Amino acid sequence: MIQIDAYKMLQTADGELPLAISLTIEKGQFVAIYGNSGAGKTTILRILSGLTDAEKVNIKVGESIWDDSEKKVHLPVQKRSIGFVFQDFALFPNLTVKENLEFALSKNDSKEIVEELIDLMELQSLQNSKPQNLSGGQKQRVALARAIVRKPEILLLDEPLSALDDDMRFKLQDYILKIHQKYQLTTLMISHSIAEIFKLSDQVIVLDKGKIIKEGTPATVFSEQKISSKFQLTGEIISITKSDVVYIVQISSGNNIVKVIATEEDAKEYRIGQKVLVASKAFNPIIQVLI
Amino acid sequence: MNVLNGIITEIRSNEGISLVKVKSNTFTFSSIVLDTPETVNYLVKDNVVQIIFKETEVIIAKDLNLAISIQNQIPCRIASLKKGIILSQINLVIQDSDQSIQSIITTNACEQLDLKENDKVLALIKTNEVSLSAHD
Amino acid sequence: MINLDPLWLTAKLALITTVILLVVSIPLSYWLCYSRFRLKAVVEALISLPLVLPPSVLGFYLLIAFSPENAFGKFLSDYFDVRLVFTFQGLIVASVLYSLPFMVNPILSGLKNLPPALQEASFTLGKSRLTTLTKILLPNISASLFTGIIMTFAHTLGEFGVVLMVGGSIPEETKVVSIAIYEEVESMNYDNANIYAGILFLFSFSILLVVHLINNKSQKTTLY
Repeated sequence: MIQIDAYKMLQTADGELPLAISLTIEKGQFVAIYGNSGAGKTTILRILSGLTDAEKVNIKVGESIWDDSEKKVHLPVQKRSIGFVFQDFALFPNLTVKENLEFALSKNDSKEIVEELIDLMELQSLQNSKPQNLSGGQKQRVALARAIVRKPEILLLDEPLSALDDDMRFKLQDYILKIHQKYQLTTLMISHSIAEIFKLSDQVIVLDKGKIIKEGTPATVFSEQKISSKFQLTGEIISITKSDVVYIVQISSGNNIVKVIATEEDAKEYRIGQKVLVASKAFNPIIQVLI
Repeated sequence: MNVLNGIITEIRSNEGISLVKVKSNTFTFSSIVLDTPETVNYLVKDNVVQIIFKETEVIIAKDLNLAISIQNQIPCRIASLKKGIILSQINLVIQDSDQSIQSIITTNACEQLDLKENDKVLALIKTNEVSLSAHD
Repeated sequence: MINLDPLWLTAKLALITTVILLVVSIPLSYWLCYSRFRLKAVVEALISLPLVLPPSVLGFYLLIAFSPENAFGKFLSDYFDVRLVFTFQGLIVASVLYSLPFMVNPILSGLKNLPPALQEASFTLGKSRLTTLTKILLPNISASLFTGIIMTFAHTLGEFGVVLMVGGSIPEETKVVSIAIYEEVESMNYDNANIYAGILFLFSFSILLVVHLINNKSQKTTLY
């Protein structure tokens, strides 16, 4: 069980914004943090990892206290059992892939875990390459593997997949899930993709202007009984094209792309990249057996 | 998307399906949903909800006295027409109210019926095409 | 034939100064880069002062400070039996102060240009500040370190004003090449001055050329 209570005044482009959160996470859960940029998502991960100080902070992980600002307890970053995957990977340019992983070992650790992770993340052919010769997806796999070398209790992922194309995202989501399960991690991941959150996480926290405004399973948070329609999916608008007197709106959801007709008036309200709920009555869809 | 506000006047449920009557101004809509007052909390008599239906599901009839199974038969006046090559959008105003709804039908159908501005027509929507949404 | 002593002395002075500055500047730059000390700007300004101050001003103050008639010089002389006026040791101290910005500035800007996440990633992997500095930060600013070393060395070769003030011109003790040139010119030995000047010119030019060749190459490697 992880308990986090934190208060910090954030300096944002629009002035000061108080970040005030209280959060309890069960061991072994996969928690997604969702919200607008500037809502304080990254700061939460940084406070939990000890990289950022907060005015008031209380963090308890299992039986050990990581932070207690009243009692002036502050466990240094190095002593916290965490793996952090940074948004821009933060691989060490002077070290090869394998050396990046080995760097995370402590003096008396066996190198077995490095070999295991290289196999698991399918990095065998890349292990002697320097980071600058890797693609975005490959770098991300290395960063993920490196974060696991110390077998941390908690894995923190700061928008790990935002820079990748869709194909790569889906593959990496599988890697993340594999690692989360195999090493029995408690994982906190910042994500902008509702489809991704549905696929990976047990719990989702929606953050807005420094406050948690919603919390629960992805299904309850994102598709709360807003509409009676039973045929629903969430996705992102990828194109809006005029067709005769109507508009065709393409929406990508997970691996699928669906098309929906909209009137001109409605289409004006939509923009590419918007997160949307697509709903239809349960009476319309036709089911065809594939095999 | 046609969205109207209404008040639930009647709910009849059986084995997970409910037939809901929702009054919006002068007209009472029928909607069928796969929910019951036990499974969702918005299904309460006198509750304000949104009635949602797609333009493409709105059928137009010129004959005002139909023997037809469609439950939602809304007397309307054609406010304007926008004809395309294949499809046409018809902007309607519900009779005795200022509420407007839209219908999208094929341009062929529009021409066969010889639809013009200010024509009195019936807008027909099948019960299973009407969605309800809790007002927020 | 010219006397080779000033050349050896100059090389020795530049080498010792560079080594001392390298050792001093790494922790100093690290502190300047990451500390939240409020008067950091004052320290930075002091370090950069030799860039703009006439060397004779710095030399003058050092001469006063080192003089055994004053507190600091007397203290050194009484307790450590060290005299810094008109001695080689004095030249080293003066050169270290005079060339400080040439070592600190490249290292500092190298550190500042590294993505902060590199250091943080190392911390989250359980590594101490020292390990992070030696294994991650310094290897990734090797070009800046190299620039600092070469610039310090080259700058020390060419100093004149400070050396003249603090060291004077004692053969085999404080008479470096730049002073030797001055003296040869004063005594109208243009040929000798020419040889000294030519050697210094060629040497300085070639090391700067090497720096720029290497820097142009390494600019193409971006950091990840």
